[in-house]
Amino acid sequence: MIKITNLEKYYQTEEVQTIALNKLSFEVKEGEFAAIMGPSGCGKSTLLNILGLLDDPDGGSYLFNGIEVAGYNERKRAQLRKHNIGFVFQSFNLIDELSVFENVELPLIYTGVKPAERKERVHQVLEKMGIMHRRKHFPQQLSGGQQQRVAVARAVVNNPKLILADEPTGNLDSSNGNEVMDLLTELNEAGTTIIMVTHSEHDAKFSHRIIRMLDGQKVTENVLV
Amino acid sequence: MIRNYFKIAWRHLWKFKAYAALNIGGLAIGMSAGFLLLLYIIFEFSYDNFHSKSDRLYRVVTDITTPSGEHENTSVDWNILSELQSELPQIEDYTRVQNTDLDVRVNSETYQENEVIAADASLFNLFDFKLVQGDPATALTAPLSIILSENTAKKYFGAKNPLGRVLKIMDGKYNAKVTGVVKDFPENTLIKGDMILSLSTYTEVIDPSLKDSWAEFSNYGYVLLNQDASPEILEEKIKKYNEEAHGDIMNKTQLKLVYRLEPLKDVYLFSNQGNVNGKISNVYTFGIVAVFIILIAAINFINLTTARSTERAKEVGIRKVIGAQKRQLTFQFLSESMIICFFAFIFSIGLTALVLPYFNELAGKVVASTIFDQPSNLLILFGIAMGIALIAGSYPAWVLSSFKTTYVLKGKFSRSSKGTWLRKGLVISQFTISVLLIIGTIIIYKQTNFMRAKDLGFNKEQLLVLETGVGTGQDRLKSALAENPNILSMSTSSGVPGGGGKKEAILSTVENKKGHNQSLALIRNHVDVHYIPQLDLKLVAGRNFSNELASDSTTALIINEKTTQMLGYANPKNAIGKKFDQGDRKGQIIGVVRDFHFTSLQKEIRALSIVMGGNQNQLLNLKVNTENLQETISTIETYWERYIPKKTFDYYFLDEFFDRQYRSEEQFGTLFLIFTILALFIASLGLLGLASYSIMQRRREIGIRKIMGASVLSILNLVSADFLKLILISISIASPIAWYFTYNWLQDFAYRISIEWWVFVTAGLVTLFISLLIVSFQVIKAAIANPIKSLRTE
Repeated sequence: MIKITNLEKYYQTEEVQTIALNKLSFEVKEGEFAAIMGPSGCGKSTLLNILGLLDDPDGGSYLFNGIEVAGYNERKRAQLRKHNIGFVFQSFNLIDELSVFENVELPLIYTGVKPAERKERVHQVLEKMGIMHRRKHFPQQLSGGQQQRVAVARAVVNNPKLILADEPTGNLDSSNGNEVMDLLTELNEAGTTIIMVTHSEHDAKFSHRIIRMLDGQKVTENVLV
Repeated sequence: MIRNYFKIAWRHLWKFKAYAALNIGGLAIGMSAGFLLLLYIIFEFSYDNFHSKSDRLYRVVTDITTPSGEHENTSVDWNILSELQSELPQIEDYTRVQNTDLDVRVNSETYQENEVIAADASLFNLFDFKLVQGDPATALTAPLSIILSENTAKKYFGAKNPLGRVLKIMDGKYNAKVTGVVKDFPENTLIKGDMILSLSTYTEVIDPSLKDSWAEFSNYGYVLLNQDASPEILEEKIKKYNEEAHGDIMNKTQLKLVYRLEPLKDVYLFSNQGNVNGKISNVYTFGIVAVFIILIAAINFINLTTARSTERAKEVGIRKVIGAQKRQLTFQFLSESMIICFFAFIFSIGLTALVLPYFNELAGKVVASTIFDQPSNLLILFGIAMGIALIAGSYPAWVLSSFKTTYVLKGKFSRSSKGTWLRKGLVISQFTISVLLIIGTIIIYKQTNFMRAKDLGFNKEQLLVLETGVGTGQDRLKSALAENPNILSMSTSSGVPGGGGKKEAILSTVENKKGHNQSLALIRNHVDVHYIPQLDLKLVAGRNFSNELASDSTTALIINEKTTQMLGYANPKNAIGKKFDQGDRKGQIIGVVRDFHFTSLQKEIRALSIVMGGNQNQLLNLKVNTENLQETISTIETYWERYIPKKTFDYYFLDEFFDRQYRSEEQFGTLFLIFTILALFIASLGLLGLASYSIMQRRREIGIRKIMGASVLSILNLVSADFLKLILISISIASPIAWYFTYNWLQDFAYRISIEWWVFVTAGLVTLFISLLIVSFQVIKAAIANPIKSLRTE
């Protein structure tokens, strides 16, 4: 599903050039659950941004479902993203001014789904995440675990093929963290490909394969399943 | 989708109420100011624009050329229009209108009516004035016909039917019949009065010789052109006809008349008619001020919105991740601007409605009785509000939608230096405008004060002017008051400085330096021997009139210095004894008075002649002791009622009367001042928002500096310096522009102030002081806060 070859990314400040990704290559198959680990600054988040089509690489190739997307412009990236990729962040990133229902509904609005169908689908996914009773609340009124469940609900409401999770349990206590990991595992078992960046060895064990990075390069790859 | 935008916009405004209030409040005040000025401008352009035939209506004016020079006369020869209509088929119809006054006796009451017009029967064919009673086709045909305005009819007859009733006019000499009642004239017309007398009253009853007169100018003339007539071609034809028909007399009298056509709807702003005239320069000025104020408000909006854009950055990031395109985000933030502007619009409508009565009072006329007078105006205002939303909303929308997702979601901002520069540029434009307006205000006030305080060359203090009319009544009143110790001196005259009474321009020939008879138009004032000493007019050559010399009342003339210059005399003494001919009187110049301002300082002093007597001295001028003023006035009134019972007691103080000429300048100045204060206020609101935001951004820096030992003062210096730099730049940009505009404005005044350097310094200091006050208040608040707290919140 995803194949990157010799991916490169540099950051240029006034005097120094930092290499974030250094000729990185790997592949993630459809239905796989991959974890990416490594110390702070090793390029994990940069990689995730490029995989999520939020950023473009400075070199190398990125095949998404066999299509080269490395040179896509912003409009094309947004098109591809909104139909195929869901995001889960460490800090949840919910819009404070929108209710739970409205936050989850947002991706459907941008993909042009009709209001009646939107309502049905949001309700379905909220039910599945066990937060239906909280649908009228605003993010600040929820616990961290509940907020992350809303974020997961929002990530999956469009039935994306790929979910990118950036330290999804980083801001949660262990029991809430486990619940979120269980949710992701369920989604993966239902067929969704998941790539997760994490610092936690515990979380990484939920995945099929761990890719370890250092200084923008892949150092090891352990297959768990 | 749009519902989602509105929802989030509304919730965001609700969450940041103070910011929303600042933003919407500033915009609403700005819009209200803009709306009021717009209503004013629309009103000024509406003068005589409402007649259904206004596209074909023209006023005929006369350029008069004499050997001494050329001047424009806004009136027209008594007989020329009827000649032109019969000769030139392009003229469909015409009417002449004369402004006059009239004493009217109804039953036993006498009224002095000062707003009277006399007009031809065709008045109602040209203009859209509606008769509520009477037949417009015939109401003004017969001599001694009078149409009353609804108000006057009510005043005279109450609820009774006025039609057919008889009014005694002109000291009871004539009986005039009421033939109609006209709807009260609107404010925005130059042709109006409390009653309309048929013009044929003059030609058939009062002075039949007018029918054969030439170059007798007392009427305004209006013509209605045919559908396809071109005014330019017609002007040429009129010129040709006039030369053929009147060339001989023009040559003989050395008086060349050229008639021109002025579109009626342009007369008010671009020309003048009597004392009622607008000034296009004022309209432009207010237009610019309106744009300025709206601009300041819009800049506030842009600055506050972009400065606070970081609040929205996360949302932008999330929306982009989820799949929003830049276009969609731009649209979202634009619609948010529209919501803010819409709220501001609603508030400003309320605010405008609230202050409109006061604005009308300041403007000296009812610009609009309510803002809903003309629904189309509201539409225009709404359009402007949405225009502001679009223009001012674009930049913040662009900034917000351009945030880089990967940064904002991490809470990182690289605040681009380009954006900061733009914001600084906008603040500079705001303060440039503010400084400009302050300089404008100072200059307008200085000029108005200058006109009030300038030595006019005569003494207008303590002078009470009574409109007694000529005759035995005046004589008896004079002898009754002669013994009164509170009356220091008495004189009679036909006119007084400042436009009171009558001062006609009369065609005269006077012997000039070369010994030739030179034609010139001289203003003529009839006086008695006491007039010149009473007004402290200085004789620079010759002597005053004397009662000892009987010939003085028929053959003596006093002129002003200006006239001697026009005649070529370097020394006024050389003009003494020279011959003159004014048609009805011939003789010699006996004196020259020093130039004095008998009209307002907007105008140059013109050539003036003063003659004695002649049964024209309708004004009785009394120099009074101001200590017992009330008593003196009531004594005068008692005698008035005894000796002049047919006229209402009518008086004024010359100084107040003269200053009334500056009323329009004063109104202009007051309005300008108010809008300048408003502009400053809105700019200050913006500065307040921006300063508090910039300080919030630098809270961490301020905290660290404090821990390192910085004093409150040094922090104040640090933050204020940034803003002060911007203000200094504004002052240096505004000063030359202000100089240019005020210099041009002053050119309208024949006598004017010079623009001094301290005006610019004052304007700069005022702006600097206000900004410093606002900024330092915010800075001190931040600087005295506990630094640990600000570091922790970071």
